[in-house]
Amino acid sequence: MFRNLSITLQIVMLVALYIFLYMPILYIVYVSMQTTAIWPFPPDFTGEHYVNLWHATDYHTGFRNSLIIGIGTGMISSVIATMAVIGILKYRVKGSKLIAGLFLSPLFIAHILIGISSLMFNKTLLGLPGNLFSAIIANATYATAFAFLVLLAQLARYDWRLDEAAMVFGATPRRTFREITLPLVWPAIFGAFIVSFLLAFNNLEISFYNLGATPTLPTLAWGSLRHGISQELYALAALINAAVFSFLGLLYILIRSGVIRMDFKD
Amino acid sequence: MSDTVLTLEHVSKNFGAITAADDINIEVGQTEFFALLGPSGSGKTTMLRMIAGLETPDTGRIVIGGTDVTRLPPYKRGIGMVFQDFLLFPHKTVAENITFPLKMQRSSDTEKAEHLQWVVNLVHLEGLEDRYPHQLSGGQKQRVALARGLVSRPSLLLLDEPLANLDRELRKEMEVEIRRFQLELGIPFVYVTHNQEEALTMSDRMAIMRDGKMEQVGEKFSLYHNPTSQFVASFLGSPNVFSGRVSAVDGEIATLDWHGHAIQARAHGGLKPGDAATCYVKSEKIAIETDAGEMSGEIRDVIFKGQYADFLVLLDNGEEVTVSSSHRGQLVKGAKTHIIWKPENADGFPAGE
Amino acid sequence: MKNNRLFFWVLTGPGTAFLLLFLILPLMSIVVFSFWRTESYHLYADWNLDNYRVLATNPSYVTFLLRSLFMASVVSFVSLVVAWPVAFFITRYGGQFKIILLLLTSTPFLTGEILRVTAMQQILGPIGLINMALTTFGFDPVTALMYSKTATAIGLIYLWLPFMVLAIHLSLLNFDFELLQVAKVNGARPLRAFWEVTWPLNRAGSAIGVVLVFIPTLASSITSKFLGGPNGALFGNILAHQFGSTGTWALGSAMGVVLFVISLLVLYIVWKSIGDLNRSGITIKGGAE
Ligand SMILES: Nc1ncnc2c1ncn2[C@@H]1O[C@H](COP(=O)(O)OP(=O)(O)O)[C@@H](O)[C@H]1O
Ligand SMILES: [Mg+2]
Repeated sequence: MFRNLSITLQIVMLVALYIFLYMPILYIVYVSMQTTAIWPFPPDFTGEHYVNLWHATDYHTGFRNSLIIGIGTGMISSVIATMAVIGILKYRVKGSKLIAGLFLSPLFIAHILIGISSLMFNKTLLGLPGNLFSAIIANATYATAFAFLVLLAQLARYDWRLDEAAMVFGATPRRTFREITLPLVWPAIFGAFIVSFLLAFNNLEISFYNLGATPTLPTLAWGSLRHGISQELYALAALINAAVFSFLGLLYILIRSGVIRMDFKD
Repeated sequence: MSDTVLTLEHVSKNFGAITAADDINIEVGQTEFFALLGPSGSGKTTMLRMIAGLETPDTGRIVIGGTDVTRLPPYKRGIGMVFQDFLLFPHKTVAENITFPLKMQRSSDTEKAEHLQWVVNLVHLEGLEDRYPHQLSGGQKQRVALARGLVSRPSLLLLDEPLANLDRELRKEMEVEIRRFQLELGIPFVYVTHNQEEALTMSDRMAIMRDGKMEQVGEKFSLYHNPTSQFVASFLGSPNVFSGRVSAVDGEIATLDWHGHAIQARAHGGLKPGDAATCYVKSEKIAIETDAGEMSGEIRDVIFKGQYADFLVLLDNGEEVTVSSSHRGQLVKGAKTHIIWKPENADGFPAGE
Repeated sequence: MKNNRLFFWVLTGPGTAFLLLFLILPLMSIVVFSFWRTESYHLYADWNLDNYRVLATNPSYVTFLLRSLFMASVVSFVSLVVAWPVAFFITRYGGQFKIILLLLTSTPFLTGEILRVTAMQQILGPIGLINMALTTFGFDPVTALMYSKTATAIGLIYLWLPFMVLAIHLSLLNFDFELLQVAKVNGARPLRAFWEVTWPLNRAGSAIGVVLVFIPTLASSITSKFLGGPNGALFGNILAHQFGSTGTWALGSAMGVVLFVISLLVLYIVWKSIGDLNRSGITIKGGAE
């Protein structure tokens, strides 16, 4: 009975958390379909913001730039972090704790400090202008730490002796990675990529200071604040969420049907 | 030895302050079942890992089939191995696990299928080819691990405590089968275990290890009956230990004064009169009689084991000795007895080694 | 194998260089700038301690800082309490779908801080959903939610709670839930079993979660700007201000250094409170020797 009670409580908390997290987003979706953003009650549905969005090229550019930052950061961070975690967990050498500390250190540094320090470093000392590239680099420092954390926790359970077994049976190190390591750890790498992407895609505080004049979604939102956020941005956010939920739905179906496996039992 | 497959020459390996292998010399012949026996931490796994190429010796040479492989990476050595925790690949089916070595050798599909068929029949895994490791029992996993080690018909198979995780029944069964595979295949097995029963049951020859050192190497019978090292004498079988001072040495036989009794044993390590000595006598090499005799006492307890029994004899001098013998009606708790052994069944060594 | 060191550096080297170059070096540069002087949007390298003197002597800065510290503590604590049952459920019962349940807590990040915080404003504020609904049905509006520190706290929890869930989840991934069965067989009720077994073995995860929430909260500026009302400004607001309209970069750098030092202090306290890491659930399987 106690067991059921505690599980029920957990489920209630989970559902409550989802409601809490998605309440503002549902509101955004709702507002995106209303004629006015200020107190849009009673509802007056319209699709005009979506039509406007279709023609608003600056939002397209912003979205594309955000996507570039997200994907670029995701790739840099997940590759760097995967390599480092494998190095640290597989080859236990002295000093690996210190390196692990370095990789985790960005977690302890506020976004705004990362953003500002790289801005000042690039601008004042190197004389480099802000652009997409510098924004990706700055985001990647922070996202790498997250990716590292995700991978470290998941790969800590990986049994490296499996790789040794493969080598004894004739697999070269490269072959071992492709045949054994990668198939077993890809969900963790995928997770690290997703987390880095999520952090960078709509990041404001790091990107803001390093973008120069390049528009992204958060800087567009920032810019439109003066006259109230334009409803085209709400429409765009609604579309992004629709895409995300389609993706999660697809993932659900793929896992459900056994096409991909997220978890191998020992 | 003729047709030697594996040779280790003066192989040493240190991990910091720990010596895991200390000047090891081994030769293993073509059709030999060679057991490496020693307590946990004695360096057995390190030895296998060096043979497999997963560890590089600090000094010395390893030769497999006439080729010096000391610096060769594992994937170029062409040997088979069965790991202690099986280490089956969790994302591959039984068939994929087993044929993995063939896949690495880029064998053709027909060759793979033939070998798979052969080895699956050999280890009795018929019908399980499409299962994943987590769907197998311990014994089945063990067979898959064995099949994977054998499938490419390697020139040498290494086995690291392959039965340690199985229950007793299954272990007994597998001991017999593993020995059968080895005889059928005619390739050398190097078998690591801390379980002397396993080693004694299966092997032709064995080596006893302690703290990275090879204590004694030889035919299993000779190690069991004629230990030349104190450690081997104390480790194999379940010996009784007698400590006393040497009163006389007559050729090979020393006489010890043990709590008022004169006991005899083969003298090792240059025992001289006056030396403190420790003497080992395996419990089944002591005779237990119901009539009166020199070392007399009474049976304190009988531990019946079926084929034989352990008699705990409390001697008149207050010491206890364990004797293994067939169970007899008159040997009951409280019965008066005396015990005796032949001098060549006891081994005395200088004490305090 | 002898080559372990080589492989280790081949794998960790690129990341190490990347972080040293693009994180540590820039951070060190703001330490340097904090001893410089700004004049009409330009930095001058004339070394002085004025920036720190201003921070220490102007009481409003200290007030902002203390307010931020308090806010960060409250937000971290609430997040910890809320995240635990959620993370526990996801890890324990999520099975193959763990990743989906977890992504559901994180995908709000894609909508962006500004949009979400302003949406929050429109839900909590005076003419927001909650209060308008209350007044429509004849209740009094909840003034505590209107442009207040409570509203800021709710907004911050809303933003950073997913980090806490993630951190605890990652820790629980390496937790052997069988241990709970053992505790229960020995008569422990769920809460007791949690307190005796789960919590101590996952302290590292909780600690990391606290840091992940504490640090961004301490430096936050946007949330309080939209939800905090006129007296709700936090340290992050004035810090951001130095790099925005006023352009006093040197003073801003000094504030950044203060923030960083305090972050380190928090890290240290959290680290100490974890105690022996080996007993806090960080169990890592042996690597190749
Ligand atoms: N990679 C290593 N680093 C440090 N010490 C090791 C390593 N591998 C083995 N050892 C040590 O070497 C000794 C022998 O270990 P091992 O070969 O595993 O023994 P066994 O297999 O007989 O139990 C032990 O003391 C062990 O702690
Ligand atoms: Mg071992």
